[in-house]
Amino acid sequence: MLRRPRTPDRRTTGRLNSPGIRRSLGRASTVPATVGDRFTSALHGERVAAWLGVWLGISFTVAFVTGLISHFMQHPPGWAAWPARPVGLYRFTQGLHVIGGLATVPLLLAKLWTVYPKLWRWPPFRSPRHAVGRGLIFLLVAGALFQVGTGVLNIAYWYPFPFFFTTAHYWTAYVLFGALLIHAADEWAKVRRHVPGGSLDRPLRPRSAEDRTRRGFFASVAAACGLVALTTAGEAFTPLARLAVLAPRRPGVGPQGLPVNKSAAAAGVTAAAVDPGWRLAVTGDVARELSLSLAELQALPQRTARLPISCVEGWSAEGTWSGVRLRDLLRRAGAPDGARVRVESLERGGRYRTSTVDPPHWHDPLTLLALRLNGEPLDLDHGRPCRLIAPNRPGVLQTKWVTRLVVTAP
Amino acid sequence: MRIRPPGAGALVRAAGIALIGVGAAGLLAHAADTRPAAWAVWFAGAALVHDLLLVPAVLAVGAATTWIPGPYRRPVQAGLAIGGTVALVALPVVLGYGRRPDNPSVLPLDYGANLLLVLALVAAATGAASAATWWRRRRRKSRGRSPLR
Repeated sequence: MLRRPRTPDRRTTGRLNSPGIRRSLGRASTVPATVGDRFTSALHGERVAAWLGVWLGISFTVAFVTGLISHFMQHPPGWAAWPARPVGLYRFTQGLHVIGGLATVPLLLAKLWTVYPKLWRWPPFRSPRHAVGRGLIFLLVAGALFQVGTGVLNIAYWYPFPFFFTTAHYWTAYVLFGALLIHAADEWAKVRRHVPGGSLDRPLRPRSAEDRTRRGFFASVAAACGLVALTTAGEAFTPLARLAVLAPRRPGVGPQGLPVNKSAAAAGVTAAAVDPGWRLAVTGDVARELSLSLAELQALPQRTARLPISCVEGWSAEGTWSGVRLRDLLRRAGAPDGARVRVESLERGGRYRTSTVDPPHWHDPLTLLALRLNGEPLDLDHGRPCRLIAPNRPGVLQTKWVTRLVVTAP
Repeated sequence: MRIRPPGAGALVRAAGIALIGVGAAGLLAHAADTRPAAWAVWFAGAALVHDLLLVPAVLAVGAATTWIPGPYRRPVQAGLAIGGTVALVALPVVLGYGRRPDNPSVLPLDYGANLLLVLALVAAATGAASAATWWRRRRRKSRGRSPLR
């Protein structure tokens, strides 16, 4: 990675920081040619950069893949239907995306610190080709910082930027992953030189002081990543909830023991949701249109399912829901087996006013129009009088305050 | 051992260029949501803030620890780096600008106190590591061997 100066000062390896700076400035005769040459620690060397790069590459690949899963689950392409099982698949992939993304922050900062001297190489551009290469590195660095930065702000519900997070985060992911692929291709030879498994003919050397320094550095980075994960993972993995002291959500905290993303007040549905005249309509391509009052829904066979709310922001928590099976209701209305169902909320607007339920999900016996949560009628903020709850589905698509089901024949 | 067939690098680079193109086209095609001018400011700004503010601050803190004797310096620097990154990641929840009066289940904890607790644990671990180093060195000295490095 970094051209290391072969000066007698190399004794100074193994400092987390760069005493080389002070030393060099103090002795005019050894002032290095560039700022980059002043960083003499082994931690700014190629070996550390290669190892961190491999871990970072794995981490960003996981984030990219789980991010695509989340995107295409919310915007399914026509050719692929997302399955209803396993029940907690989305909970797992999105938890991995968010908690893994958080734990990547120390790794990213460590990698950028390691290669920081390269930023100040002189001359900045040796050739047009070199300039293009540095431009791609800029896309990689800025993209990585943009993605983790906006992600961390988004899960804290803090929006200091004027763009819509979801769309910007989604499209920037392609820029970042493209730049990552190019970087991996460019640096592959260095990775093979330093990472076992990449090359089998690397000679075994006795462990040096530099090796111990690097080990200590890697241990510190791993500790930072682990600490971030440990203090946040409990918002998705409930057994660790008490350790999630820095997570934006806490399973068990919220109305009826479950966190809420959008309140009835924020959705502007409070009056309509408590209106005794509320009815659920089932319309569209059905044999019999239905219009049911809350009492009529309660009189239908009631089922209970233990299902998680799995938010795109990474937190998830289970509740015990009871209500009417969606498939029972749709069969009563005579909906065709291959139909898609649009579930409409009382909300007047907003990106998530409606959601579409595909056949794998509405045929699943666990998919309910829930009327009760944890033994009580649904809280207003959980979607009173009636909400959708289905397995393996992002929280934003578990439509609340449901008032209408529109069936579309295949 | 050869891992890649020849030409794999070129294919990967071509895929990378294509993905960057897809991303740029998507950002421009959804301009109402992505606000390309503001996006560009945040995109480049992220790199500039990191390169011109964050890393120099880290280097300055590192330079300020050079008075600590060699064997104890590393645990202290590691503790500062670990505590610093955890604090940085926790900053948005500690500031709590995302709190909403209508929804107390968002940011329900006292994150400032929790962060201090986590930082105190990191400091304690750092102290324990330094104490362990001191103990090892003392034992080696008393056995008459040369001190650690």
